[in-house]
Amino acid sequence: MNLKEVCGPTSSSDSLEKVLLSSRVSTTVTRDISANKKIQNDVKVTMSQGNQLESDGHGNETTVAEVAEVAEVASSGGSGKDTSIVTPFLVKHIADQNLIPKDNFHKYCYRHNPDVQCNKSTDELKMTQIQQNLEKLSRNDQEAISHCWSIFGAAPSQHRTLILQGLLSQCCFPQLSLISQEVSKLIKIDFISNLPYELSIKILCYLDCSSLCNAAQVNQRWKSLADDDRVWHYMCEQHIDRKCPNCGWGLPLMHMKRAKEYNAAAMSQCNSKKRKLEDGDTAEDASSSKSDNQQNQPQQIVRKKRPWKAVYSERFKVERNWRKGIYTVKCFNGHEDGITCLQFNNDVLITGSYDTTVKIWNIKTGELLRTLSGHSKGVRTLAFDDQKLITGGLDSTIKVWNYHTGQCISTYRGHEDSVVSVDFYNTTIASGSADKTVKVWHVDSRTCYTLRGHTDWVNSVKIHHKSNTIFSASDDTTVRMWDLKSNECLRIFGGVENNGHIGQVQCVIPLTIKTEVVEDTTDESESEEIREHGVNNNNNMNNNNSNMAANNINTDREQTRQQRRDRNRISIAQNTQGAQPVVLRGLNEANSLGEAPANPENHHEAQPSLPPNPNYPTHILTSSLDNTIKLWDVKTGKCIRTQFGHIQGVWSIAADTFRIVSGAHDRLVKVWDLQNGKCIHTFGGNTDSVCCVAIGDSKFAYGSENGEVKMYCFDDDD
Amino acid sequence: MVKRYVLVSSDNEKFPTERKVMEKSILLKNMLKDLFADDDDEPIEIPLPNVSSSVMKFILEWCEHYKDVDFEDDEDDDSKKSAPIDEWDKNFLNTDQEMLYEIILAANYMNIKPLLNAGCKMVAEMIRGKSPEEIRKTFNIVNDFTPEEEAAIRRENEWAEDR
Repeated sequence: MNLKEVCGPTSSSDSLEKVLLSSRVSTTVTRDISANKKIQNDVKVTMSQGNQLESDGHGNETTVAEVAEVAEVASSGGSGKDTSIVTPFLVKHIADQNLIPKDNFHKYCYRHNPDVQCNKSTDELKMTQIQQNLEKLSRNDQEAISHCWSIFGAAPSQHRTLILQGLLSQCCFPQLSLISQEVSKLIKIDFISNLPYELSIKILCYLDCSSLCNAAQVNQRWKSLADDDRVWHYMCEQHIDRKCPNCGWGLPLMHMKRAKEYNAAAMSQCNSKKRKLEDGDTAEDASSSKSDNQQNQPQQIVRKKRPWKAVYSERFKVERNWRKGIYTVKCFNGHEDGITCLQFNNDVLITGSYDTTVKIWNIKTGELLRTLSGHSKGVRTLAFDDQKLITGGLDSTIKVWNYHTGQCISTYRGHEDSVVSVDFYNTTIASGSADKTVKVWHVDSRTCYTLRGHTDWVNSVKIHHKSNTIFSASDDTTVRMWDLKSNECLRIFGGVENNGHIGQVQCVIPLTIKTEVVEDTTDESESEEIREHGVNNNNNMNNNNSNMAANNINTDREQTRQQRRDRNRISIAQNTQGAQPVVLRGLNEANSLGEAPANPENHHEAQPSLPPNPNYPTHILTSSLDNTIKLWDVKTGKCIRTQFGHIQGVWSIAADTFRIVSGAHDRLVKVWDLQNGKCIHTFGGNTDSVCCVAIGDSKFAYGSENGEVKMYCFDDDD
Repeated sequence: MVKRYVLVSSDNEKFPTERKVMEKSILLKNMLKDLFADDDDEPIEIPLPNVSSSVMKFILEWCEHYKDVDFEDDEDDDSKKSAPIDEWDKNFLNTDQEMLYEIILAANYMNIKPLLNAGCKMVAEMIRGKSPEEIRKTFNIVNDFTPEEEAAIRRENEWAEDR
């Protein structure tokens, strides 16, 4: 049975006609469904029982009076010709409603169903206005108009359509315009409340988070749907750890935080007790904290299964703080010399310094947990996971530590010069050294391979375990990609024809970027020009304006070399043994500056294609003392984007799914958007150059030449 | 080609329809596949008791427009999901809320995914960027929160306001 078909005559909520029908003597013009329904029942009763309406008792007085009037006319056997048509019509069709099944779903269409909240309330203002206009007319006219309405009101839906079509055909344009205006105001359907649940959810899934939060404030029903876990789970899927193609927002993964919360939940009992003990001094406090404690208990357990909306909002706040630059700064003071390297996880920050020590800090409290001493000269590099810490230093050694106990587990010797970079995965350690080599230490098999090719210091090594490759960045201005199995060099990233770095590369990060990244547009003539300048720069140092940048680089190089020399000297002063080669190395490096860096043949060869491997990183990100950060396409070996902004060499970069943090000799730390390469924030205020940076979901940290370590936190909770 | 198939709306209006057009509806497509052999020459009447004639006209116009387009089964494709509404669909669905409501219900019932998606997106666009009060006005919704509840819920949702 069609819902629509049956809804016409029963239309208890088609209040316009009904209310108008009764409005002639009525002063209150809005009434509820049940009242209207009663009217109809009353009419029926009237028809069969004559004029006993007043005693009926369950009607609204005024309504009853009005219906009685109609009924009176009917029972009096037709005092006027028009009513003789009206009355049988009303009698027949209003009686029809009794044939309709009792349950609401069959009885009403969605709008007329009394269970449905929408479109029921009549417009009080409008009704009053109609009432007033009606009263201005003569009694006969009032009656005639009322008959029109009552006939329409009683008519079944096909009849109504017919009546309406007849009326419409008589209307002139101004009247049609009135209809169209009124109609657009009248046809308002609460889609979300009335559509089947899964369709409402589907609609809500098309919305953004702020629209959803507004939708949750509409009414109870909307709240329950707009807060639905399915909607927010989808939102989380769309945004967490990826950039939503729709709105351009991506939210941090923060999985470390989640892991911590599990622990927190497990230890909630003792923790909250402890906290309360610290906080509560008076007896009152103690009692109130007790109740707090009880409340906290279930909360903590629930937290394990938090609503997805909460998961989303927590990450959203962090992301917004990143974007708006809302943060708190924590300082970690203790090192006596420049910071060379740092890394942090959710609990600890580990820093290495020229002061030969490694320090482990509690991030939350800022407290120094432990100082590891063992390197005989400055510590240049570190990498750690939950169990172990690996460090490399100017003393040419690599050390493996249990940083929980402070014990040095083993020391690897083999490099002939300072170890300036380490990375590890499982039991493989990779190290880059001032001796121009990369060494790969397979701890399990106690083998060590030396990867030769770079013609200058290797400043950064990264293992990309998925593709079993290593990336190394060198002072020879290139980055090399090595196969970990064959120990062969797969690719060299560099050279002017690939728009490579023209200064020493300090840092390399392999990345797998799934979304599209903004690339530099390649205007052929322009890039040609740049190439020429680049070549000029390499060959002869003319004082051309266009070579200013190049000159900067060179002064920069000298500065940084000077620094390094100083560093090495400091380490010599501190540890006289083994000083000689380091000094020589440092001086040699400084002297060899003017020479063309990389092997020139490499630059002119077409890039050989990589052996097929689906797991290669898609891109690499590099930073260089030529003041730039470059993004490279691993497949083509070409630099596809250069990020300018630092005015001196970029010592260090770190990146996650969304952002790049860079620290440079210009004492600035910059935050960049990974996807479009634009600088989001520049943080100054440092008195010395920034040597190392690290990034996490909600914070970044950096260490500077003067021994300061700072952490910028973008989460709200601390 | 003889239109052997006749769709019958809830109000008994008959719509002779090409098979290709009908098959935009997965419901009808499966029904035809399951129930009717191709060599049957009798005109087949298919009653659709949940769809009125006015809505049926709309639906069939949409199916006619897209009869030569193959919609892949890409329900879970993110890019499709986040794609803006097709311009033609947008114009087509730019009707009153009642008709949009009926179309969504009918598209859901007849299993016409692209039309259902477009309809749902239209509704989402009507909600997007609006304040709670504007949403209530758009859909004629009564606010059933107490002032205290309303204030609490506003606080709860404040985080999303400024981005």
